[in-house]
Amino acid sequence: MTPEKNNTVYWRWLPAAFALAGIILFVFATFGPPASSSSYVSTLKGAIQTVSPDYIAEKEHYRMMPDTGSWLFAFVLGMAIGGFVAGRTSPGPVKDIPELWQQRFGESKGKRYLATFIGGFLILFASRLAGGCTLGLFISGSTQLAISGLYFGVLIFAFAMLSARIVYGNSGREET
Amino acid sequence: MNTQIWLGLLSGIAFGFVIQRVGATNANKMARAHLMLEGDIPRFMLMAVILSAVGLFGLQAVGIDNTRILPTSLVATGLAAVIFGIGWGFCGYCPGTTWAAVGEGRMDAVFALLGGLAGTAVFAQFHEQLIPLLYGPTNVGQITLSDWVGGKLPGLVTLVVLFGLCIWLIGKLWRRGNCA
Repeated sequence: MTPEKNNTVYWRWLPAAFALAGIILFVFATFGPPASSSSYVSTLKGAIQTVSPDYIAEKEHYRMMPDTGSWLFAFVLGMAIGGFVAGRTSPGPVKDIPELWQQRFGESKGKRYLATFIGGFLILFASRLAGGCTLGLFISGSTQLAISGLYFGVLIFAFAMLSARIVYGNSGREET
Repeated sequence: MNTQIWLGLLSGIAFGFVIQRVGATNANKMARAHLMLEGDIPRFMLMAVILSAVGLFGLQAVGIDNTRILPTSLVATGLAAVIFGIGWGFCGYCPGTTWAAVGEGRMDAVFALLGGLAGTAVFAQFHEQLIPLLYGPTNVGQITLSDWVGGKLPGLVTLVVLFGLCIWLIGKLWRRGNCA
């Protein structure tokens, strides 16, 4: 496919930003600042409390979050459903390994899955330390003019760009 | 089920749908954004913040004020952002996009989700040690732009100008690549 043709798979950024802002404002009006990294705590709390309620009761990080019967968990469950519906109704291919990754590291699925496991570990460990992620801290925070969100945002973009540069080297750079 | 659950589910479905449609659940597009090969996703994020901030200002003006400002801890927020950035650049997923990408059927996102649960479990285990050590000492409180520039409206204007400038710069500096 030509790049131009391929690009029609995705919405343009400006109308998409209006759509997302509409949803974010709906969430602010009906719930509060949207967040997603908290749901990982809710998921674990829901799972662990069925086998070991004592552990949940003694850990502050679980005490401070609701379990799976909450807006937070329903929201990410909804995100998975939304992603499913959007993916099924979109002509774009769904790949287990990104093209750039494949160019750089080959077709090993195990290698990619290990990498995303480690990446997932890092982003959630960090989000729990900061109290939020791209959505809960950067987007929600900046929307409320919070310095924490802006400070977090500047650094995550800077370090993601640096990290991607190290991981991918010059892959993808040869195309014009 | 209570209303909050239904509201959360509905909001999540809409949110997941939009971020898939703009390509934010595609780790290849995310990597290309980080490598400055295409600027759509960062411009989408920044523009969504501008519009939400303006909208929230309006909501607050009519008395709907469900805000919750997270405090800034120079060390904890900063260190977390560095670790987060490294992980984001490495795998191309965020905590939220991971859920939508799992729904979309990307297997690598399933592993990002599992890794995320593991990272959360480890942090929760050491919360009692890490928060007093890293978060507490340099916590400067719930500061906002409004505190710095003297008022809510000047704060909003500052944000819009800063983010607008970033969007313009991304349009100039990022290549206009169009690959999926």
